[in-house]
Amino acid sequence: MTEKTFAQAMFDALSLSMEQDATISVFGASSFVLGRGLPPADEKAFIAKYEKRLFDPPVSENVLASVGVGSATAGLRPFINFGTSSFAFEAHNQIVNEAGNARYMSGGQLKVPLVYHMFHGIRGIGGAQHSQSPQSMYANCPGLEVVLPSTPADAKGLMRTAIKSDNPTLFITHTKLLATKGEVPDGDYAIPFAKGEVKRAGKDVTIVAMSLMVLEALKAAELLKAEGIDAEVVDPRTVVPFDAKCVIESVKKTGRLVILEEASLVCSVASEISAIVAEQAFEALKAPIVRVGRPHVPMPYSPSLEAFCAPDAPKLVEAVKKLLKK
Amino acid sequence: MPEPLSREARHSLLERMMLMRRFEEMVIHMAAKHKYIGRNHLYIGHEGTGAAVMALLKPGDLAHTTHRNHGHIVGRGADPGKALAEIMGREGGLCGGRGGTWHMTDTSVGFQSTSAMVGGSIGLATGGGFACKQLGKGNVSVALFGDGVLDEGISYEAFNFASQYSLPILFMCENNEKPGRRETSMLAADRLLDIPKALKIHTMTVDGGDVENVHAGVSEALARIRKDQVPVFVESQIEAWPGSHQHKPEFTTGETDITMAWDAGKISGQYAEWIRQEPILRYIRKLLAENAISQDEVTALDAKVREKMAKARDYAEASPFPKAEGAVLGAFA
Repeated sequence: MTEKTFAQAMFDALSLSMEQDATISVFGASSFVLGRGLPPADEKAFIAKYEKRLFDPPVSENVLASVGVGSATAGLRPFINFGTSSFAFEAHNQIVNEAGNARYMSGGQLKVPLVYHMFHGIRGIGGAQHSQSPQSMYANCPGLEVVLPSTPADAKGLMRTAIKSDNPTLFITHTKLLATKGEVPDGDYAIPFAKGEVKRAGKDVTIVAMSLMVLEALKAAELLKAEGIDAEVVDPRTVVPFDAKCVIESVKKTGRLVILEEASLVCSVASEISAIVAEQAFEALKAPIVRVGRPHVPMPYSPSLEAFCAPDAPKLVEAVKKLLKK
Repeated sequence: MPEPLSREARHSLLERMMLMRRFEEMVIHMAAKHKYIGRNHLYIGHEGTGAAVMALLKPGDLAHTTHRNHGHIVGRGADPGKALAEIMGREGGLCGGRGGTWHMTDTSVGFQSTSAMVGGSIGLATGGGFACKQLGKGNVSVALFGDGVLDEGISYEAFNFASQYSLPILFMCENNEKPGRRETSMLAADRLLDIPKALKIHTMTVDGGDVENVHAGVSEALARIRKDQVPVFVESQIEAWPGSHQHKPEFTTGETDITMAWDAGKISGQYAEWIRQEPILRYIRKLLAENAISQDEVTALDAKVREKMAKARDYAEASPFPKAEGAVLGAFA
């Protein structure tokens, strides 16, 4: 184990993958993890080593996403970084209509081994167009895998799986996670999709969160401890495919479910998790399911307005206390 | 100048065109019989372009087509029975009935994902061109598309991308704009070619009604693409088939009677002008005039193609609908 930043962990996974598989080409490497606190010598060596496989393409998200699909079905493993997730909306048709459908429409003739990486979340005065969290939009489209890591160790292991996957995978990283640090196992390892993890064990209430919200949930759990509430924090890590078992087992233990979601709650991942638990484990619930998320408005720019809208540990603490009537 | 075509090569081109035509006529007949089939975009009238392009592709080359894909796929050698079964939504179809008329794929003949989105093929083919370049096996990627694609922003992005990275791509535009009718593209530019040209892509125009003209032009384009590893844009000007409609095709011109090639008296009716100019009869007339084929050989070729189609129809009709429960499988590898 070595302490590393989230950015370093993703870089390690990408380097390891490129070392092992010559069919991986990267588009938009410079806006991915390069220049985000990596040792300059490592960056320089990486760029020199993979000169012919690193591309900084024209600002053409639409064709770039399509190039991903066309080259993936032709035998490459493209890794495409859009930067901010709002930019991927320019390519929505290609991601949904081409990447997600190609395998099914071809009756299984085609494989689409492709990673779309993007940064999501409320980053601080990002305004409406630089604060999106599009995970539920992609999850709603068949054929796309959706991954949201929360720790450096998970980022490395999930990135390895995403690159090895023969399906189009949306790897969605919170901008604010890049500089966070954590213990990362040395060497090569992969974390399978649909394998959630209990990030903190507890007995009174289950809090489900992903990406940056896991960190807020863990903060909230510490605050709740002082109030005599023992919260369990569950991170499903992937939205599609989803580890329902991990969430349900926790709810069966605690009898209460609160879901923390950074996106608007309308048709959100939190909505889906609520439905799954209500359908499959209703008898385990001692109280109604609670969702905490951002209001259904474009994200405002002003810090005071943004803070009001952004889901965080204090808002989660309030919701849990209300649920437990404390 | 390319080598003159051998007698065999010319007969083969004609056979490819007739295969495309008879296949589409069969689709129309099947759509009349099975009412659920219908919204097909037929390739009738385009055969001069598709036959030449498909004849020139090499094994390993990638092709990306559109909603108007039937002619391309069967012209490249896909099993017509499996292609028809796919259009009929049958288990024995190319894609097991999952794609249908809009999304026929056959990787065994180089056809990758077929997009019915206007502009879909042009982006995917750019990806195919990128893969050809990275894999370095000397293959090319072809985008087949109509003139309406130039209305879409992705065509600009694709031309720019292909030009910037010098990708081996044939941008094969089948311009079937109907003069005096609803336009299939609306460009402020004077000519389609002006758009790729502005992005430093070499452009050419061929006569889609003359299969040998298309063959010569595309042959030159492909030689340039393979040698210089650059994209080339070819516009094939096609006289649109009068039966082509946005919703359901209408069999206005009827089944093609090949004897019209030597018996002009048989050509009559509202669409006589189109029939006189359409690529198959034009080519037969040319070959006959040059003593490159006999009437008997044409008749025999047609009989051979019709027999193939009869087998294809029997295969498709006998193929069952897919097991319904299977619908939930296959979205992921």
